[in-house]
Amino acid sequence: MAADLARGGRIGTVRDRVAIVAAIVAVIVAASIAAAAPPAKRIVSLVPAVTEMLFAVGAGPQVVGVSSFDREPPEVARLPRVGALLDPDLESILALKPDLVVVYGSQDELKTQLERAGAPMFSYRHAGLQGIFETLRQVGDHTGRVEAANALIDRIRADLASIRKAVAGQPRPRVLLVFGRDVDALRNVWVSGGVGFIHEVLEIAGGDNVMADVTREGLQINVEQILARKPDVILELRADARADAEREALQTWRTLSALNAVRNRRVYFLSGSELVTPGPRIARAAERIARVLQPR
Amino acid sequence: MQVPAGAIVGILGPNGSGKTTLLKLLAGVLRPDSGTIHLDDHDLRSMPRSALATRLAMVPQETHPAFDYTVLEMVLMGRYAHLGAFELEGPNDLRVARECMEATGTSLLEDRYFHTLSGGEKQRVAIASALAQATDLMLLDEPSSSLDLRYQLEVADLLQRLNRQRGATLVLSTHDLNFAASICDSLLLIREGSVLASGPPRDVLTSDHIRALYGVEADVQEHPRAGHLTVVPIRPAGDSDESPPRWVH
Amino acid sequence: MGALTRAEALVGAVPPVRRRMTAAALSFGILAVAACALAPLVGSTPIDVRRAWDPSIAFSDNVDAQIFFVARLPRVLSAALVGSSLAAAGVVFQALLRNPLATPFTLGVSAGAALGAMLAITLGVTFAIGPLGTVPLASFVGSLAAVCIVYLLATARHRGFSTNVMLLAGVTLNAFFSALILFLQYFADATQTMRTVRWLMGDLDVASYGPILAALPLIAIAIVTFAWLARALNLLVLGPEQAEARGIDVLRAQRIAFVSASLATGAAVSVGGPIGFVGIVVPHLVRLLVGSDHRVLLPSASLFGGTFLIACDLVSRTVMAPLELPVGIVTAVIGGPFFLWLLISRGAGGSGQ
Repeated sequence: MAADLARGGRIGTVRDRVAIVAAIVAVIVAASIAAAAPPAKRIVSLVPAVTEMLFAVGAGPQVVGVSSFDREPPEVARLPRVGALLDPDLESILALKPDLVVVYGSQDELKTQLERAGAPMFSYRHAGLQGIFETLRQVGDHTGRVEAANALIDRIRADLASIRKAVAGQPRPRVLLVFGRDVDALRNVWVSGGVGFIHEVLEIAGGDNVMADVTREGLQINVEQILARKPDVILELRADARADAEREALQTWRTLSALNAVRNRRVYFLSGSELVTPGPRIARAAERIARVLQPR
Repeated sequence: MQVPAGAIVGILGPNGSGKTTLLKLLAGVLRPDSGTIHLDDHDLRSMPRSALATRLAMVPQETHPAFDYTVLEMVLMGRYAHLGAFELEGPNDLRVARECMEATGTSLLEDRYFHTLSGGEKQRVAIASALAQATDLMLLDEPSSSLDLRYQLEVADLLQRLNRQRGATLVLSTHDLNFAASICDSLLLIREGSVLASGPPRDVLTSDHIRALYGVEADVQEHPRAGHLTVVPIRPAGDSDESPPRWVH
Repeated sequence: MGALTRAEALVGAVPPVRRRMTAAALSFGILAVAACALAPLVGSTPIDVRRAWDPSIAFSDNVDAQIFFVARLPRVLSAALVGSSLAAAGVVFQALLRNPLATPFTLGVSAGAALGAMLAITLGVTFAIGPLGTVPLASFVGSLAAVCIVYLLATARHRGFSTNVMLLAGVTLNAFFSALILFLQYFADATQTMRTVRWLMGDLDVASYGPILAALPLIAIAIVTFAWLARALNLLVLGPEQAEARGIDVLRAQRIAFVSASLATGAAVSVGGPIGFVGIVVPHLVRLLVGSDHRVLLPSASLFGGTFLIACDLVSRTVMAPLELPVGIVTAVIGGPFFLWLLISRGAGGSGQ
């Protein structure tokens, strides 16, 4: 129909007229919907990943309160803290007069209390890589930064795609992804299963998760299973670590000398909050892992 | 208080007068706040428990083991006092235990579990166990209280036999005046922790003493068929013969 | 009984205890040895046992050997050690407290251990002494603290050693330490909480012989002490005054029983976490089989406790492979219903109280 118009044709048939009216109505309705939910101006975020996203889409100035565990970006240091997953402080949240509170999907009690107080909420659901993009989109919608959010999503997607391309054709090592362990001992070892953002990042970065068949995000593994799975690489990821963590890891894993990973000294210890946060820096995490897995 | 060797001494008194406490003091289970207790010129406090257990044995009023043992196991426990640190019972110990069970008429109960026994059987097993300690002195706390009439007679008979045949010295506490009168050589009357009277039954078991101890008017007679003093309570002291009994509901 | 048989019975007859001790030691011992020998052969992964034992292959290249000697054998041995000491400690505590419901954890030892472990996990500190890692060491220190507090309270006022005060102190300490643990959990982050909760469910995957060797001396001393205490425990069950009258220094026996059983429990918990039900189910089960004479009961319960926990650990590491079902859950699933059955059957007029 637009082509007809462009050619200078006339709006003739009844069908054409109805179509135009419908289009106008649709635009008006969409605009009213968008207008009915104005972008949030005072945001309290209990979820560190979402806090990062807020700042990443440029809504940082709108953030008035963060969780006790928030550390990124550095600007959050001067913001008031309102508790976290287990101990959210309703009073301090409401004292900040938020027009949007970002909560965890599991914080039922807090959600009821906020509903009663009439505070609008954004309920965060933790999902895999797609979940990160979905959350970014929603963050964009709620803050009125739709373009910034989409641009960020595209950029992350592009970065991940380039990593994927860079490792394509390279041999893919079998990787054990460890995110928790007793210090100086191979006890209480927690690893990533075949579900979740870190597993997906590993796959993109060119590694095969040895525990991919387990449909859990995290599981505790015993020594027999570690030996049975025969990883080529042991990758330890932490939010932060002590100075001698790398040395300690090599020392501790040496007990399992029959593992390829130990024999070839491919035990790596990476620390940094981007590795454990399903947020906007996920591509950086993928890049760091890829560098370690694939000698470029 | 003196307990001559080879005697049967009875400690009488109402509930709460301190009979059991006195018995426990004699057994060395409780320590006196003042004064001393001597066993054959040795201060009780200076004797180690293991040595003391070879000199005196105690039969408590009731035995409630937290877990179940067989009768033989319980009687053999009386032999522990004679065993070394890691020593196990030997044939001699078994022989002694079985003799004690025979003496108390509990031989047939050997493999029964203690919790399945009647009150009287439990009491006799307890006596057998104390007997197995092979001591010269035995202390018994209310040996007849949980027994029915027939077993009371049997226990009285048993105790007398132990005294005469083995020369065992017995000290027993009881509130059963007739029981005490039937077997004791001497009696000690205790009221509120102090001695009211002591001596042979004929001197101690008098109407005056019973009135003072229990607040009861009673007749004390030498019973021809029983062969010992018997006490028959008539009425509470302080009531006259004519006034009708008054009860408080 | 005829005259001849009675004479036979009286002369040259040996009391049953020696025979029963031998029979119990043999039967439970063989069972325990069999468990130790067979359990490492079974697991979530099939291995070639001959290859594992083949000395010509270098250990550092031999995956089968590492599965056998690093993954499985230490687990089996620590299960044997922990199971036997918890079961024996359970027997001792039941005699000491004269209560069939007593467990090694009744007097607060495991609560102290849990607090110590939780502090170590949450504060993220690390200190190691020889083969002992941070968490086992911290949990042992925690259990020692609990033992000291209960001991001091129980001996405080009286000249004696009041088991009632001890029981009250232990129960109170359990409640107090549990509250502290919840308090710490509140401030811990998700991973730390997860790791503490996991520790509380029991984990015998020690992956090395260090913790076993470290706990062994203490547990060995405790078990020898139990052997020495066995007769005294028989008498303590009758009641402190009766025990006294039969020649036991009751005060000394109670103190030694409490300290040795608590230390054995603390050592066991530092190896595998607070694994429940072993310390109450095994004593009762074995008592049903061999009676209450502690000279027979203690060695039998120790041996069977080890066997029982080896079996439970086997289930724990195979039933949900590659996931692991925490061993404390396995002992609870097996032990809980059994214990209920025991209470019901005894309560309905069985030979118990």
